[in-house]
Amino acid sequence: MKKLSVAVALCAALATNYASAEVRINGFASIVGGKSLDSDSTLYGYDDDISFKNESVFALQLSADLMEKLTATAQIVARGENDFDAEFEWAYVTYELSDELQISAGKMRVPFYRYSDFIDVGYAYRWVRPPQSVYSIPFSTYEGLSLLHNTQLGDWDSTVQVMYGSFDGEIDAITEKTQAELNDFAGINWTLAYDWFSVRAAYLIAESSFALDGTDPSGAALNGLEAALRANSLNTLADDIAINEDDSSFFGFGFSIDYDNFLFDAEYTQFEVENSILTEQTQYYASVGYRLDDVIVHFTYEDNDDKHDASRFDPIAAVPSLNAAINGALTGVQAQSNVYTIGARYDFHPSAAFKIDFSRFEDDVTDTETDVVAVGVDLVF
Amino acid sequence: MKKLILASALSLCSINAFAEVAVIVNAGNANALDADTIKKIYLGKAKSFGDGTKVNPVNQDGTAAADEFNDKVVGKSGSQLNAYWSKLVFTGKGTPPEKLGSDQAVIDFVAANADAIGYVDSAKVSGNVKVVATF
Repeated sequence: MKKLSVAVALCAALATNYASAEVRINGFASIVGGKSLDSDSTLYGYDDDISFKNESVFALQLSADLMEKLTATAQIVARGENDFDAEFEWAYVTYELSDELQISAGKMRVPFYRYSDFIDVGYAYRWVRPPQSVYSIPFSTYEGLSLLHNTQLGDWDSTVQVMYGSFDGEIDAITEKTQAELNDFAGINWTLAYDWFSVRAAYLIAESSFALDGTDPSGAALNGLEAALRANSLNTLADDIAINEDDSSFFGFGFSIDYDNFLFDAEYTQFEVENSILTEQTQYYASVGYRLDDVIVHFTYEDNDDKHDASRFDPIAAVPSLNAAINGALTGVQAQSNVYTIGARYDFHPSAAFKIDFSRFEDDVTDTETDVVAVGVDLVF
Repeated sequence: MKKLILASALSLCSINAFAEVAVIVNAGNANALDADTIKKIYLGKAKSFGDGTKVNPVNQDGTAAADEFNDKVVGKSGSQLNAYWSKLVFTGKGTPPEKLGSDQAVIDFVAANADAIGYVDSAKVSGNVKVVATF
């Protein structure tokens, strides 16, 4: 927030000095209405009452060339789920070191996934929302540096990005208001694209610390368990529950095909916070689509599997009560689910698309299903 | 004379008012450009001419020439191009070429800027510009 005021002040100051400094304004918006078809379960924030707020987004981007090769950019995003309170999601300065190399500093998007950079720009993809089993990490920005290298390797376009920085903020993980801090947050990703085919791999690491909300039942239970273990001098076991300066890693691999109106996309991701209550998570999706002029029809299958290694269970069989509490906590955070989505996108205007998605979420732990229907219009301007 | 103008107007209408799209650069620009390089310039993948000069491309907005150029040279529909650029614009990875409203505006811009490239209806080419390719 503070960083952005600096960027805006900088750009305002320079705009007055340089008659040629030009501020570009771009924007995008999604208006999405949806509902769950089940009275007793919610999904993607929808219950069985129609909501037009939950997934709707408005955003404006201001970009100014401060001087040759130096650009300041700010993106202000208002989300329905936050009562359309405007927040700065991007605020950064970019310097072009050469035609192929640029460096950016400020607040930017964490490049976890193929669609991470433009995850809010619904117009840029075919679904109402990218597959949530994969796109599940509950924060998406960081503050730091990004180095971007673009080049041509024969007929292939190569893009390599290296990032370093930190994240500090409230996220929805285990408890709704978990205070998270990620330090030494570093990553690299590489995309190779050839006309109709592109492939991407990403690897990120960080040192993660989470403070759970003690007023939340799960937070209180886990904090209580950690305290009980420490009280019994079982500090190693307590450290294995707590998320405190734990090494975290993320790996993602994906590819996409857009050949002769036939579309195929797939991504596989794997995420781990070592020695903590957080499970090792693996997710993937595969999506097929077909383009008929201005209409795309698509079908997507997603899979999520969050589980602890069997060796983590029964760590202290000699103390049955604590042993059972640890097993219960480890089991409680495990998840296994699938999602099937069928949908369509219609480009009814060069800058606007209409979308409809039907998704069925199957929870294999509770053996329940939830269906959600959403329709929306995505715009860029 | 009047009859001839009417006849030519009618014949233009019958072939969709469009013959060819001509890619133009400033008359002083000696760089050669092939179709692939032009496509890369308009997708933001090539940023300089062969001699190293930074390229300054201009697009047209919603005109027949734009539709023709996008289809024949870039190989994407207007919607696909908008989706392509939205991925770059909103991530700080690129800025789309500026859009001008008519063939004449493009010709004036290219004639005035040594580093410019644009495209117009080939029948409209005039003034101090050089045609490097037609499609």
